[in-house]
Amino acid sequence: MNKVLKSEIIRTLFIRFLSSLLTLFLLVSFLFFIIRLAPGDPTDKYVSAKLGSELSERIAEKFSLNQPVADQYFAFVSNIFKGDLGVSYNYRLPVFNVIWEYFSFTLIFASISFILQLSLSIWCAVWVVRKQNKWVEKFTSNFSLFVYSIPAFVLGVTLIYVFSVYLDLFPISGLTSLDHDGLSFFPRIFDLMHHLILPLITLSAGGVALFYKYAKESLDEIKNQTFVVNLRASGLDENIILKKHILPNAIRPLISVAGVELGIILGGTLITEVIFSLPGMGRLAIDSILSRDYPLVIGCVFTAGAVMILANFLADLVKLKIDKRMIKGILN
Amino acid sequence: MKSGIKIIHWIIFLWLCIIILRFDLIVDYLSLIFNYFGLLTSDYSAAIAFLNFGFVDASLSVILFILIIPLIIFFRKRLQFLTTRLNFSFTFLILLGFVFLFAPIISNENPEFSKNISVTKLLPPFSSVKQLELNTGEAQNLSEVEAFRNELERIIKPSFSNNIILADSVIIADQVIYYQKNDRFEIAKKLLLSESGIPIIKNKFFLLGTDEFGRDLLARLIYGTRISITVGIGAVILSFIIGILLGFVAGYRGGILDISLNRFTEMFLAFPVIYLIVLILALFGSSIFSVIIVLGISGWMSLFKIVKSEVLSIKQKDYFATAELVGLNKFQLLKKEIFPVIITPVLVNLIFLFSNVILAEAALSYLGLGTGNSYPSWGSMISSGQEYITKAWWLIAFPGLALILTLFTFNSSGRLLGKAINPRIKQ
Repeated sequence: MNKVLKSEIIRTLFIRFLSSLLTLFLLVSFLFFIIRLAPGDPTDKYVSAKLGSELSERIAEKFSLNQPVADQYFAFVSNIFKGDLGVSYNYRLPVFNVIWEYFSFTLIFASISFILQLSLSIWCAVWVVRKQNKWVEKFTSNFSLFVYSIPAFVLGVTLIYVFSVYLDLFPISGLTSLDHDGLSFFPRIFDLMHHLILPLITLSAGGVALFYKYAKESLDEIKNQTFVVNLRASGLDENIILKKHILPNAIRPLISVAGVELGIILGGTLITEVIFSLPGMGRLAIDSILSRDYPLVIGCVFTAGAVMILANFLADLVKLKIDKRMIKGILN
Repeated sequence: MKSGIKIIHWIIFLWLCIIILRFDLIVDYLSLIFNYFGLLTSDYSAAIAFLNFGFVDASLSVILFILIIPLIIFFRKRLQFLTTRLNFSFTFLILLGFVFLFAPIISNENPEFSKNISVTKLLPPFSSVKQLELNTGEAQNLSEVEAFRNELERIIKPSFSNNIILADSVIIADQVIYYQKNDRFEIAKKLLLSESGIPIIKNKFFLLGTDEFGRDLLARLIYGTRISITVGIGAVILSFIIGILLGFVAGYRGGILDISLNRFTEMFLAFPVIYLIVLILALFGSSIFSVIIVLGISGWMSLFKIVKSEVLSIKQKDYFATAELVGLNKFQLLKKEIFPVIITPVLVNLIFLFSNVILAEAALSYLGLGTGNSYPSWGSMISSGQEYITKAWWLIAFPGLALILTLFTFNSSGRLLGKAINPRIKQ
């Protein structure tokens, strides 16, 4: 029995992995064609009165832009499988290097926010459930909905106004102060945190509200189930019931939400990075789209997609680890 | 019948408020429409040339505004929900609806009007400036067409006018002296529009202040509401059509179509869609139509999933098999057997979709990829307000508040409806 289950799990995960790869491949092809179909030519900006179209033709030749689209596509796909995303037009560097430089920031930023969201929201939900006060519940429910309804850019700009302009507590934008490089280790970390507090609040507020809603609903549902009533009837301490029996059961449905939430965070970093002009992948993507840096755009969207697909895969793994019965739901 | 304030009372209250505050404007609009029909019978081609968006928009608004109460009375049997009790969401929803439908009546300002920027630039809320009007020299015997044109320009404000002078302060002496910031100007009395020899000096009042080009923030907010709601409705309808049709086909037929659509929805659901939306809009140019289409196409996946799973379960039911045997075609099956069952979960989904679309539109406008500069939009107002954040808080506060309240209203009504459908979640 155990062996059968194990082989079933391995098979399912394998298919899941293959379908993830297929999704990624579809995404890249979709991107390639949509960018080629769009109006506008990256060599246009090299046409000048002095040189005529000579320079632009040379650029087109250098980057193989004058070849048929089908050839470009096949070269592109084979390069992707070799792990080569091309060379950025603007930075004159391999796309991989450019993205890595910016993506590392986004990754750290998003992870901190993700951990913050999960811990804060579950803590809040447990606190409210423990209070057992109808008015507190009503207030937090409406308040969380209100926070969830605040768009990231409105919240960000408001925070900048209140804390940076009016109270002058935090810097308006950027990641480091001017004298950052001259500082020793701990002041450096402090400087970074000082710059990151407002962006973190902006990015996390909506997610905290969303997770809170799910955590609260799931806690409420578990709380009223018969096994909890049984435990209570047998005279177990209320705190132990909450910690050992309700909470582990209630967190389970949150995992699949967490996978989706990662996508929301990644989209959210795009806006947050633009508001606070942080050196992340979202801003890189916007800048490269506006300057028609095709390889970099494809690289950014590819990275975002790859991260998402990886995250969902991990979420499925965690789900399986917690409850093996979930195997049915994974493939669909 | 429960007592308390009902939705219908709120509607009538708003309607009466607008009538009292804007009575002369409504009369003006009506006379304009009346004259237009006169012109249409006498000079057809000239009348057609006058048809522009502002005029048609204003006429439709006024006609609907007058007809709305008789219509409600006439259809009162169908509109039973109007007698439910008023709560916060309904209050705001109906306010939004009024602003959306009757924007030309509620705001008599052109949202793009800017003149004498040095005077009107970045005025705080509740400020006012003096307005002088130049005498255009009324000719005595105008032709019918020219008279109509004058009336049209008087009532439906253009985005620029040479005949209006805005000033900080005005002194009437032998000449009329007015100040724009520190500059002193003089103008002869007879050049101004006057009444029994004394020039008319109006007070131009800005309830919510002005932006960096001296445009009235309230008017921009009101017209921005229309953009948000238009984009929301358009995109939601598009998503609804795509989601229902594909969901029905995938659930009813199954097979290869079902599998490929499933992969496709997985791809989109697992992806930070904003990257794709931004990419497509940046590449193909952004206008109100492209925003509607892109947001509509990127929103149908959750709807597809709901419809598909519902259709799969309905397909097993006896009544559905009977309906098939009776010989209803696919469209009738969808309309008569499936639609009534799925309408409630779909409705909840559509409400959330609507708030998502409004949020996405505002975010796109904030990034500069929205509906363009021809119309104001909440997102672009916030985005341009960010530059003046140290000087003018109202540029961000009011559009931000409008956005938050709209999203909150839609989210909370969606959640209420969801709770009513799914009783497992206790209040």
